[in-house]
Amino acid sequence: MTPRPELLELACSRAAALVLVVCIAFFARDLLAEGNPLPPALVVVAAANNAPASDAGGALSKLRSLAGGNDTAEEFLPLSKAFKVDVKVKDAHTLVAEFAPADSYYLYRDKIGFAMSGETGVSITKVGLPRGEMKSDPNFGDTEVFHKPFQAVIALDRRQVRDVTPVSIEARYQGCSEKGLCYPPAKKTFNLTLAAWSPADGRPVVAGAAPPRSASAEGPPSRAAPPAPRGQELPSVAEGPGLDGSGAHQVLQSGNLWLIGPLFFALGVGLAFTVCMLPMIPILSGIILGQSKNMTRTRGLLLSGSYVMGMALTFAIAGVLVGLSGKNIAAALQNPWVLGGFAGIFVLLALSMFGFYEIQMPSFIQSKAAEASNRLSGGHVFSVFAMGALSAVIIGPCAAPPVFAALAFVSRTGDAMLGGAALFAMALGIGAPLIVVGASAGTLLPKAGPWMQTINRVFGVIMLALAVWIISPVIPSAVQMLLWSALLIVSAIYLHAIDPLPQNASGFRKLWKGVGVIALVLGVALLVGALSGARDILQPLAGLRGAGAATAEVHATPAFERVRSLSELQQRVTQAGGRAVMLDFYADWCVSCKEMERFTFTDPQVKARMARMLLLQADVTESTPEADELLKHFGLFGPPGIVFFSASGRELEQVRVIGFQPAEKFVDALDAALKNS
Amino acid sequence: MTRAAQLGVVAAVAAVVLAAGIVLRPEARDQTANPIPPASAAAELMSVRLPDLDGRPQALEQWRGKVLVVNFWATWCAPCREEIPAFIRVQDRWAAKGLQVVGVAIDETDKVRPYAAELKINYPILVGGLDGIELARQAGNRLGGLPFTVVFNRQGGAVHSQLGRVDQQKLEALVQSLL
Repeated sequence: MTPRPELLELACSRAAALVLVVCIAFFARDLLAEGNPLPPALVVVAAANNAPASDAGGALSKLRSLAGGNDTAEEFLPLSKAFKVDVKVKDAHTLVAEFAPADSYYLYRDKIGFAMSGETGVSITKVGLPRGEMKSDPNFGDTEVFHKPFQAVIALDRRQVRDVTPVSIEARYQGCSEKGLCYPPAKKTFNLTLAAWSPADGRPVVAGAAPPRSASAEGPPSRAAPPAPRGQELPSVAEGPGLDGSGAHQVLQSGNLWLIGPLFFALGVGLAFTVCMLPMIPILSGIILGQSKNMTRTRGLLLSGSYVMGMALTFAIAGVLVGLSGKNIAAALQNPWVLGGFAGIFVLLALSMFGFYEIQMPSFIQSKAAEASNRLSGGHVFSVFAMGALSAVIIGPCAAPPVFAALAFVSRTGDAMLGGAALFAMALGIGAPLIVVGASAGTLLPKAGPWMQTINRVFGVIMLALAVWIISPVIPSAVQMLLWSALLIVSAIYLHAIDPLPQNASGFRKLWKGVGVIALVLGVALLVGALSGARDILQPLAGLRGAGAATAEVHATPAFERVRSLSELQQRVTQAGGRAVMLDFYADWCVSCKEMERFTFTDPQVKARMARMLLLQADVTESTPEADELLKHFGLFGPPGIVFFSASGRELEQVRVIGFQPAEKFVDALDAALKNS
Repeated sequence: MTRAAQLGVVAAVAAVVLAAGIVLRPEARDQTANPIPPASAAAELMSVRLPDLDGRPQALEQWRGKVLVVNFWATWCAPCREEIPAFIRVQDRWAAKGLQVVGVAIDETDKVRPYAAELKINYPILVGGLDGIELARQAGNRLGGLPFTVVFNRQGGAVHSQLGRVDQQKLEALVQSLL
């Protein structure tokens, strides 16, 4: 049944009318609210009315003029207008309180506090306030006040309750007017609903980082709190708590789509030049070169554009879903079956690269496309679109770290629109080079021929390597080593590593043989290592060395102390004895961690600096609740990750090290951490 | 449905939404409230007993027969602190002729005592705590703001209340007319 047009029209007009009415109602409401302050004369008269009639006569005439200067009393706003307060949910672990003093009104910084009411199991861990302005008083000393709107970031402890939780938070504040009036301490209660969370979610970075001089929610905040180091000051007008040093993070926190869009687009363009894009090239070249008969620039542009749109929409849908669910799907994707499935897709793609079979569009689509080969067939565009959607599923897990990070951000905002738009922008960035290739109508793509065949094989090997890499977190390292060795050895055979070179072999032939022999030796080493019980992919033969050499190696890296839980960490950090603290997240299966240990921590420059710090290591090889909690606290999905704390126990968000860093770069991070302590 | 019926529905919905918007207006209650202090407020203010700086309960009634200037203030209130020297001078000048200034601190005793000592406040201070603001509210201080000053005549009737700073000369003029 198709809706009759007139019904549709009716529905639309009604909807429009409703929207209009609602707008008017809200407008009227604001108008009425604004134009309402009572003339202050009324206040005075009201007070005077209370005076006994016997004596009122003589005094009344003088009543109004008591105030100094002009009639200041009339300008005082009611409390709710003088200080607008709103508390909003930022994410599952963070609330943001927005205070907006009216013009020439101010709030005392040390009178701002928050309290949770009721037994919800949610408590306040930290309240982050920006720095205020100093207001000095000859008799009373300096007080810190806010004249301008500002935000307080309230970090919550939700370890006890993970489900959706309704909470009731009371904001306490107190302020004055510059015109000579102070308001009594005020309380305002806000009822909010916190989203559910799971330990696998990224913990909001904001919650982990208390800005300097946080006011405690419990008890009266102390005026004697030590002033923060100058460099750490936050502007009093905090446009989103930019607590992380990195500009990108501030953009994300701002929630501003016009900033986030380009940022994600740029991220996508960056991703477009990674190996993860390799599977896209044969697909796209199949689409474009397969249509070589009538390939024009316009048609190429249209096809590649539709392909990219398919991919972008899939990402956008993922973004919306993640935004809506408020949960982190990154953790869900880290499951052996999902990763195995993706690895399987890569193996299939690789095999097709080797020419075992052709990946083609389903024949019914092909025939349709052939039917309409001369005009732009909607069906063909659609099938290309569908291929794009499928490609997104392939890119997703391959480019996991950045895509997961993007999804994690989206899940924190809980904003479906923003999430969808951000990931859409990212996918457009990924697709931008593809559109360029498409618009070239195939001239930028390598033509078929023996050269293309070699390229295809190289791609095939890289895809197999990607497949191993994808599943490496969920398979035992011995299996991983065996897979690598198999890949290397088989590739070596294809490179004629053990075939004798012909008499008049070309230079390339010799080069390839050399590469093949290296691959063969590496593969054999891995194979021997795996069979001899080695678990370190970078040192497969370590087990064959003498015991003395092995211990020497251990002593070469600075000694870390293990921490197992968040509480243990907090205890160690507070007992650091004036030293900066470095916390290294480590796991046996984390290749980058081992690289860091082997190549970076052993550098003399690095060692010298690390010796000045308390070195802690969190082993997250096993996914215990404690390990998850630790990761979550720092918003990490897994190792490698190194976080630093100042001597005062504050995390130095701006000097985090995620992923492998060579010694030269790592020295900078260490210096920054030591300097900020 | 006829066109007229449609319009009727739209208008009805509009009316309901508009009414809801006005009724649910968050500031509506604040703004229209115009509490006329009950006649008993002055009497209650006179009779309530508040601790002085030594913790002894005192009632304003003990100064009945004098012209009484009751100043609600707090140490955390900058404008209050600014006008305290004026009250000290007024007390100094007119006490002999039957004036009494009394401060009611919406504050903690521990904070008030050193401050009163430092400024050498020459009139009694009672400590109202945060509940003291309710007394001020009943006496016509709709905003609950500070400073707030109420002037009583010799009969114990409230003749004036003032929210915000008081001008010393004008206060003295009023006091003179009452003495």
